[in-house]
Amino acid sequence: MKIFQVALGILAAIGGFVDIGDLVFNVAAGATFGYQLLWVVVIGVVGIIVYSEMCGRVAAVSGKAVFDAVRERLGFKVGLVALISAQVVNLMTLTAEIGGVAICLQLLSGLSYRWMILVAGVAFAIVVWVTPFEWVERVFGYGGLCMLVFAVAAVKLHPSWGAVAHGFVPHMDTQSPLLYAYFAIGLLGAAMTPYEVYFYSSGGVEERWGPKDLGLNRVNAQIGYGLGGFLSFSLMIVGGALFLEKGVQPEFLGSIALGVEVPLGQIGLLLALVGILFAVGGASIDTLFSGAYNLAQFLGWEWGRYRHPRGAPRFTVTWLVLLVLALGAVMTGVDPVQLTEYAVIFSAVALPLTYIPIFLVANDRSYMREYTNGRLGNVLGLVYLVVIMVIALTAVPLMILTNVGQN
Amino acid sequence: MNRGALALVLVLALSGCNGGTVDEHALKRDSEKVGSLASEGSLLANDVSKGASTKYFVRVHAKEMSQAASDLQNALAIRPTSPGIKRDVRKLSKLAGKVSEELERLHLHPTDRGVAASLKEPLKADADAADQLGK
Repeated sequence: MKIFQVALGILAAIGGFVDIGDLVFNVAAGATFGYQLLWVVVIGVVGIIVYSEMCGRVAAVSGKAVFDAVRERLGFKVGLVALISAQVVNLMTLTAEIGGVAICLQLLSGLSYRWMILVAGVAFAIVVWVTPFEWVERVFGYGGLCMLVFAVAAVKLHPSWGAVAHGFVPHMDTQSPLLYAYFAIGLLGAAMTPYEVYFYSSGGVEERWGPKDLGLNRVNAQIGYGLGGFLSFSLMIVGGALFLEKGVQPEFLGSIALGVEVPLGQIGLLLALVGILFAVGGASIDTLFSGAYNLAQFLGWEWGRYRHPRGAPRFTVTWLVLLVLALGAVMTGVDPVQLTEYAVIFSAVALPLTYIPIFLVANDRSYMREYTNGRLGNVLGLVYLVVIMVIALTAVPLMILTNVGQN
Repeated sequence: MNRGALALVLVLALSGCNGGTVDEHALKRDSEKVGSLASEGSLLANDVSKGASTKYFVRVHAKEMSQAASDLQNALAIRPTSPGIKRDVRKLSKLAGKVSEELERLHLHPTDRGVAASLKEPLKADADAADQLGK
């Protein structure tokens, strides 16, 4: 029974791994550089595994989620900066994800985009309000498994497997090194996007993980995110095998779905659209809750998605306000795909404010007792902190220099 | 905070800036965009001609591509141009308009295999023409 539950959790994690940032950056990177940046995805996936495991362990042992740790370790003022930056990036991401859901609904139904935004907003509010959370998580996770159609499409496009294998070895074969660096940063930012760890650690606290659940935490992080990374590889291979050769710059969500339609036809297209709908929809809910978690944890409010709204009223009001703000932003006509690029790049800037406190708490014996980071955890954690600092410092300059990846 | 907000606006303005004079670099970039839309349109038309797509997907996706091509056509027609490349810029503008019209036809006839089959090759040729203009 336990194994069955773990397997279900892993399936949900795979289906829920990809969000709009992963979709946009992986396919665009493939369309621009072929398979050359596959190695960056590996680095990003290992990074999210390392830090998810760490913050899951902190949640299990100390009962503290990320923003509890941020407030305690960074103090109120610096913590407030971290909170504001996290909330701005969260809102941008949420807006982009809801826009993505509306586009998917439009591509499936042919109805007006603005109506689909409203449908998406109302559907989210109802689903989150009335559906038990474990069902929300599972349904969106399993629906997101339709994204595996991208793996089938990648094989059907007959890429040069030698070139794919070569992509896992760091190399740069381009006359546009700045653009290459911009995409590398975007891929890392998309894979290690902070809302994933806010959500993951808060979930651990809510599900009352204890030290006995550390094994489950490790398996969830390693296998769930690891296999989820497989979807990112598939997206990049589709971009490289189809769009690079044809000179297509995938600027729309529809272009990404077309990458499956070409090799697999109508059924492939429908599976791709349903997969994107569930994956991006699930990410919208994760982002929505992350914003509410962050604020509630920082200000010491009652919080929790398993509680009745009356049990955590300020938490409930927060996610409702975030949802309304994001819907309003999408209604202005902002392009979700372009907004995604900004959201990923700005989230890259905010990465240190999320990951440094986690690393510090995971090494604090007064919280963690005998469960502090091991030697490997510390080496990997430190290496990734350096990577994160480099990403944070270079993300915006590269965005400007490459005109948001246009040059 | 005010300084932060100002910096953010500046960053967005600088990175998103797409106006100004069309120089050789901008011509190359816009040629790639027109070529990309034409090439993607050709892929879509090919699928429609085989009955391998869905009505709503074609209607919506062809429309957004047509709109993007039309926006490029308008921008290229009115933006000032560096000396020596004016002819190519206007040619590209015209080509973007042609691509936009072809994609509009696909949008209006999302299940008509005959129309799609008749658009496949012209769109491919447009992609090649855009590629030439960018060189």
